[in-house]
Amino acid sequence: MNHTPDPTTAENGGPFDPKQAAALLDQTTQQARRKLQATPPWLLATRGVLVLAACGGIWLSVRGQHPYRGPTAADIPVLVSFIVINFAATVAVARRATAGVSGKSRLSPAQITVAALAWVAAAAVLAVLAAAGVSYGHYPTTVLIIPGVAWAAITAARAEWRRCVMGLAVAVVGAVGLLAGPAGAWAVAGIGLCIVLVGAAAAVAWQQRA
Amino acid sequence: MTTEELDPLIHVPTRLKIVATLAALPEGDALTFTRLQDMIGLTPGNLIIHLRKLEEADYVSSEKSRNGAVSMTTVALTSHGRAALDAYTQALRGLLGGL
Repeated sequence: MNHTPDPTTAENGGPFDPKQAAALLDQTTQQARRKLQATPPWLLATRGVLVLAACGGIWLSVRGQHPYRGPTAADIPVLVSFIVINFAATVAVARRATAGVSGKSRLSPAQITVAALAWVAAAAVLAVLAAAGVSYGHYPTTVLIIPGVAWAAITAARAEWRRCVMGLAVAVVGAVGLLAGPAGAWAVAGIGLCIVLVGAAAAVAWQQRA
Repeated sequence: MTTEELDPLIHVPTRLKIVATLAALPEGDALTFTRLQDMIGLTPGNLIIHLRKLEEADYVSSEKSRNGAVSMTTVALTSHGRAALDAYTQALRGLLGGL
């Protein structure tokens, strides 16, 4: 007699012990959350350490300037490299994690446009300040305020409160940097963004284990 | 409480993995068949059979779309399926004494 095995029975993963089921459920959930996480804790923590190193390095080189002249020619490549590596790594990891995922968690074209316009607006503010004779080097954290607030608004509209808090925290770092003076702003940016990113890493890790 | 009280549709290793993987997505999100297959490590035929059973119970929904010559199937956990997994998890906790 021909016998076609039922793929849902024991030999193909059929009924099993509740303890095994609990272990499998836990393991599968953790693995899936890790694989689908667009901003994994390790990436956030690494970005936190890198931004601390990049801005901290600039702060060390400008803190002794009297009068303040801004980052040296040697500092600029460090800062640009950090921005490029940060952007490339973030996009690559997010693309890999969200491959094959569709639905509400993806940003809509309108939301992407708002986020992009926020950076354009930040660049426009810097250009206006430069035209008024105020160099970016004197107020480096200005660039964080508009994108931070925009990101908070976008994520609040999506009821993503962890990301919303992160956006607001970035904007607060930008605002506090304005009060810290030209050299101190670099220290505020490095320490503030490091705290925001490491805090976000901890929150994501906690969420994944919950 | 006995193991008989566990949802028999979910209390199968392969289907438990499918449901738990889809539950890791935010509500309203879907996963392509190929990504789901890649994450769980099943053959397409085996995955189709288990998905069909879950779909018959309205635990998952699938949608086929076509982009030119490429056709794509996406799979999502329904609210009914999410509730069933929650109930299954609670039942497991009850069986294992809250461990």
